Amino acid sequence: MGKLVGFLIPDTLRLAWLNLRRNQRRSSLSIIIVAITVFALVSTGGFGLYTYDSLKQATARDIGHLIISTPGYFEIDEEMPLANGLEQPQQLINKIVTLDSVRGVQPSIDFTGLISNGNKSAIYVGRGVNEREFDMKGPFLDIREGKTLSNTHSSRYDQAEPEVMLGVDLARNLNVTIGDWVTLLATTTDGALNAYDFRVHGIFSTGVPELDKRQLYLHIDSTQSLLNSNKVSTVSVFLFDLEQTAPASEKISKLIASQSQPLELTPWNVRAFYYQNVKSLYDRIFGIMGMIMAMVVFVSLFNTMTMSVTERTREIGTLSALGNLPNEIIAGFIREAGLLALVGSLLGTIAAALLTLFLMIAEVQMPPPPGMTQGYPLTIYFSLGLAALATLGVLTICLVAAYLSARKGVQKPITEALIHV
Amino acid sequence: MIVFNHIQRHYQFGNQTVQALSDVSGEIQTGEMVALCGPSGSGKSTLLNILGLLDMQYQGEVSLDGSALPKQAKHAAMLRRTQLGFIFQRFNLIPVMSALENVAYPLLLNGFDKKQQRYKAEQMLDWVGLSDFIHHRPDHLSGGQQQRVAIARALVHKPSLVIADEPTASLDSKTANLVVDIMKNLGQEMGTTFIVATHDIRMASRCDRTIELLDGKLNRFDNNQFDFPPSEAHLREAQNKPNGREVISWAN
Repeated sequence: MGKLVGFLIPDTLRLAWLNLRRNQRRSSLSIIIVAITVFALVSTGGFGLYTYDSLKQATARDIGHLIISTPGYFEIDEEMPLANGLEQPQQLINKIVTLDSVRGVQPSIDFTGLISNGNKSAIYVGRGVNEREFDMKGPFLDIREGKTLSNTHSSRYDQAEPEVMLGVDLARNLNVTIGDWVTLLATTTDGALNAYDFRVHGIFSTGVPELDKRQLYLHIDSTQSLLNSNKVSTVSVFLFDLEQTAPASEKISKLIASQSQPLELTPWNVRAFYYQNVKSLYDRIFGIMGMIMAMVVFVSLFNTMTMSVTERTREIGTLSALGNLPNEIIAGFIREAGLLALVGSLLGTIAAALLTLFLMIAEVQMPPPPGMTQGYPLTIYFSLGLAALATLGVLTICLVAAYLSARKGVQKPITEALIHV
Repeated sequence: MIVFNHIQRHYQFGNQTVQALSDVSGEIQTGEMVALCGPSGSGKSTLLNILGLLDMQYQGEVSLDGSALPKQAKHAAMLRRTQLGFIFQRFNLIPVMSALENVAYPLLLNGFDKKQQRYKAEQMLDWVGLSDFIHHRPDHLSGGQQQRVAIARALVHKPSLVIADEPTASLDSKTANLVVDIMKNLGQEMGTTFIVATHDIRMASRCDRTIELLDGKLNRFDNNQFDFPPSEAHLREAQNKPNGREVISWAN
């Protein structure tokens, strides 16, 4: 057993461990500081990863992983509805939907107008979609009352009662509920005013008060009738996996290049303004926090190692007298700091993993973020990559601190070191 | 054989220059045990440090077995590692290592494999009478036992020269005698040269020769002719002047 331990743990590491045990309280404190730092970095980083991932998924599910439009569609204001729309997109949609990574392709129309309940009117921001689009959106649209739009090909769908879904605050403002009728007014593509009556089929919340006050969904056929056009604004491509965006983009680019109408393809991240702003903010917050923690670890470890070097000055003299080179003595202190960093990092990583598990079970609720109406369950991803990165960072800081402390110690003349009290 | 010629060493304290050694020369034969005596401030530690390659800021020449001692730190460290052993007044064992590990340490530095390290270190500890204490840490050993471990450590890699700085100063007289016996016996058996800095008349009297320094100069370098055991008067004088501002009369 002893031989096995001797084989597995080199003498140099064993010696480093024994040296750390000389002043157990000081070493424990340093290990705890490292552990707390790694725990904080891995946990906050894990929270950041969860937030980024959620926002990426939400954006991609909301607007599609890839969006096909006419060139410059997102930069140019339309003078008339659908002035920059896509003509006859069905053939292209049929081709794209056959690609392996594609989950669905959904045309949509963005438009605006007035909505009225007969007594009161309000401005709306409308979106004409196929009913399948709500399957693509999944849990990112919160249906408060009623249902999403019905399948227009279903026998239960009554064409005499076209459906509309209203944002929760819009419905409240108009004092309408499921089954009530509202009138939508919009400008047609040739500039005339058009109006249709729709029955309220569902009430939803996006979580953003400004959108809940204005947004509504119609069937795309109803929208085209309202706007008197057969064009669509954009075609959204929904993929099975976010990671497939780039390869799918290449394939779809080739397909749209062969179209008679010039088209452009926009990946989700270009339109993910909220995600980018949050990421930019979090990256800075985490960056500053990481730097502060790095400084705390450095100061703590530098102090620990300097005290250790000072206390062992005579021993350094002895080791030098026995023929150790300065670098060999420094290496000994570096091994001690490395061991401190690794043990602390391991403990911090385990604590972060336990926190992730705890949150999976406990479901701690976070308050709504600014500009949102709904809270969300606090989730922290546990990332081994992030833990490895935090460990590497802390390890580097500890090694530098040990090197600087030990270098000062070995520079003392041997004769002075030997008589150090 | 160690030859040192015209050794000079001075220290600078601000504007003040202190001459620690002035033109000290001599030679020590292989296998000799030489006592380096003199009152505090006489320069014996300085000479010991120079001969032990711990201080290389001196003028003059020192050679060991015909080769000049290096003055570069790295070369000096390698020579200390292979050719020199050290015994200190306060033992200077590595506190986290067992007696066996302390003794094996020079072998580790010299690249011996683990099996050889253990075999030779155990053998040395057996020779110094500590075979029952090989796994004891220094803080579980008495002063005399610690110094015996230090002697074993100094000799385990068969160095040409062992530098001993007041090896008996921290020990009672009985233990000191035992330690001197061990040093002498092992030195003779292994053909190792010992240079021992000491205030202890009994220690000095057991050495083959004495180098006596006074104010940084060689006062006497001859065969030992001590009263042994020392007279009561000598012992009283030594005890009354532990830091010995005056030179104790060593010879008859």
